[in-house]
Amino acid sequence: MHRRNLLRWIAVLPGLRTWAQTAGFPGDQADVLRALAATVLPSELGSEGIDRVATDFGRWVREYRAGAELDHGYGFTRIRRKGPSPAPSYLQHLAELRPALLTADSAGRRAAVLSALEQAKVAELPRTPGSQHVAADLMAFYFRGSDANDLCYRAAIGRDRCRGLQGSDNPPPPLKEKA
Amino acid sequence: MRRHECDVCIIGGGVTAAMLALKLSEMRREASITVVEAGRPLFDLENRMHYRQRSIDYAENPWPGDFIEDQAAKGVISRTMAVGGSALHWGGTCNRFSQEDLRLHSMFGLGVDWPLDWKELERYYCEAERRLGVSGEPSPFAEDWRSEPYPMPAMAMTHNLKELKAWGEKSGIPFWSTPQAKNTRLYDGRGECIRCNTCSICPTGARYSPDFTFRRLLARKNFALHDQTLVRRLELDSGKSTIAAAQAVSQTAPDDPIEYRAPVFVLASGYCWSPHLLLLSRSERFPNGLANRSGLVGRYMCGHAFQSAFIEIDAKIYPGMNEQHGLISRKFFRSKPGQPFLRHDLRIWESASGHEPRLRGADGGILLGDDLLSDWRKRAQRGTARVRGYYDVHPDRNSMLTLDTTSRNRWGDPLPAIEHKLDAPTQARQQYTNEHFQKLFQTLAKAHNGKILSTSLSNYLDHPAGGCRMGTNPATSVCDSFGQTHDHENLFVVGSPTLPNAGCTNGTLTFVALTLRSAERIAGRVK
Repeated sequence: MHRRNLLRWIAVLPGLRTWAQTAGFPGDQADVLRALAATVLPSELGSEGIDRVATDFGRWVREYRAGAELDHGYGFTRIRRKGPSPAPSYLQHLAELRPALLTADSAGRRAAVLSALEQAKVAELPRTPGSQHVAADLMAFYFRGSDANDLCYRAAIGRDRCRGLQGSDNPPPPLKEKA
Repeated sequence: MRRHECDVCIIGGGVTAAMLALKLSEMRREASITVVEAGRPLFDLENRMHYRQRSIDYAENPWPGDFIEDQAAKGVISRTMAVGGSALHWGGTCNRFSQEDLRLHSMFGLGVDWPLDWKELERYYCEAERRLGVSGEPSPFAEDWRSEPYPMPAMAMTHNLKELKAWGEKSGIPFWSTPQAKNTRLYDGRGECIRCNTCSICPTGARYSPDFTFRRLLARKNFALHDQTLVRRLELDSGKSTIAAAQAVSQTAPDDPIEYRAPVFVLASGYCWSPHLLLLSRSERFPNGLANRSGLVGRYMCGHAFQSAFIEIDAKIYPGMNEQHGLISRKFFRSKPGQPFLRHDLRIWESASGHEPRLRGADGGILLGDDLLSDWRKRAQRGTARVRGYYDVHPDRNSMLTLDTTSRNRWGDPLPAIEHKLDAPTQARQQYTNEHFQKLFQTLAKAHNGKILSTSLSNYLDHPAGGCRMGTNPATSVCDSFGQTHDHENLFVVGSPTLPNAGCTNGTLTFVALTLRSAERIAGRVK
């Protein structure tokens, strides 16, 4: 059986719907997710770079582990666990944005996303994606990441990479221009 | 009931237990040593890169399973309970205390003096640095003399730290690389730091953690590690004041308790669980718990307070070059004569605070894509320094760990509750301390056209210690300078609980140095 068909079949069983939506994310909303990425991510990434972030975000959702232990912190410490998969709400947000993102012009796409974020009362860029709205979470996924940090400073800092000590006493090299 | 016999039974499996067990096993090769730890062993170095990535991507616990759900204490600053303890995820900072910490009473009329000499402790600092593998550079202050060089050269200062050092020193305060238990070259079988920027989960082992010591110990024939085993009480020899046994339960076989019998017992469970076990072990003969004729077990719980500032400066800082490495100054380590008592260290780290991406611009409107990046770039023109000073505060007698009968673990044992209370002289000088830090932050900010973004005062005591303080007088202390309890000649307490005061900088190196000194006394009791 084709994987997508299998996931659709599983999705009708009670309790397995969330699992299927997570495992198959973004499913038939992949084109909307790409359009959303093109609206909320910087154009400097280029269309290839934007698609790559959308793909990575999809993988991030698929590999999300509901109930996983969270870091219990230091100072004021507590045991917390990861909430349920954000996939179902993301799919709903994407479905709501579908008409605007796939048919409207650039200003219309932008207006639709802004309106959705205001409606969802998103006040800040989330620290880690938290399912308040897929647009905010996609932005947090990218802008809170190491690659965005490099892009902001136009330097190959590589914050989240293991880079060795050599050369760290100099400023990081400038980002390579896209060919 | 199962029975396990050994020559030395060490209760607790953190950094002091690891260091003690290793040194004892070197000094007494034939002696059997058993470490009993309530938590799990997390020895899977091969998975740490994966855990690190999950922590970055999902904020998941980088040490999965490093706690016991129902073994929690109120007022504790870390939930970690695993083989290796808090030093699994520590930052590796290895600062020494100073002579003032040991002579508070004789020099300043405050607190108490420690019952040991600075010169003697200094020797054990050197040993602790060797065993942990510390990289560092010496302080420029003569009072911070050291009898041996650091085992490894200091961590290279990143471009960011060089900028921050130049800024900090404009105010006449010398700064240098903070010593850390991180390899700057191959050392002790562990590789050089590769700057992963996630020291709380070092994926390579370049930052020391006790699991490496335990794995080495496990290769020795006379060493046993009993993990997932909670010691619930200590039992006395009939008619004597010596400890006969430790009663424990295994998390994996809860219906089959274990009794540990040994000529020497050592509590190496840290500032919280060591006094807790002594209080739990109360009996008709010792209704206030063991080692507690002074009534001081669980008292004088200490730590140091801290004040922090984020200061924006004219400097090109690239956040993320090596956020876990910072600068230190010990310029304020000595209280000035004729002025109110005040001692603190001073630390600077790179920071992205104030320059992080934001969803809403200054007018409150939502920023998308290019607008967000453009706003971020404008704000990232200047750099941010994170500045912190840990300052010396002293505990009141009623700074306490007590048994909380309203909160019990699955075995029905009351869990600890810690409530810190500062002594009257510390409280009296708090305003002076606050004013000093505000002035200091302003002085620092002035250089490089700086602007203070925020300041804060700690709302907990960091690097906690105490609860079984050392001293020569059994009426005013729980143990002697070797951690040998005054009341039970075969019961020792090592590490953080023995400290009468917690200094004004990170404590782990001091906990380890004191433990290595205790090891020699303990070895003398082992046949």
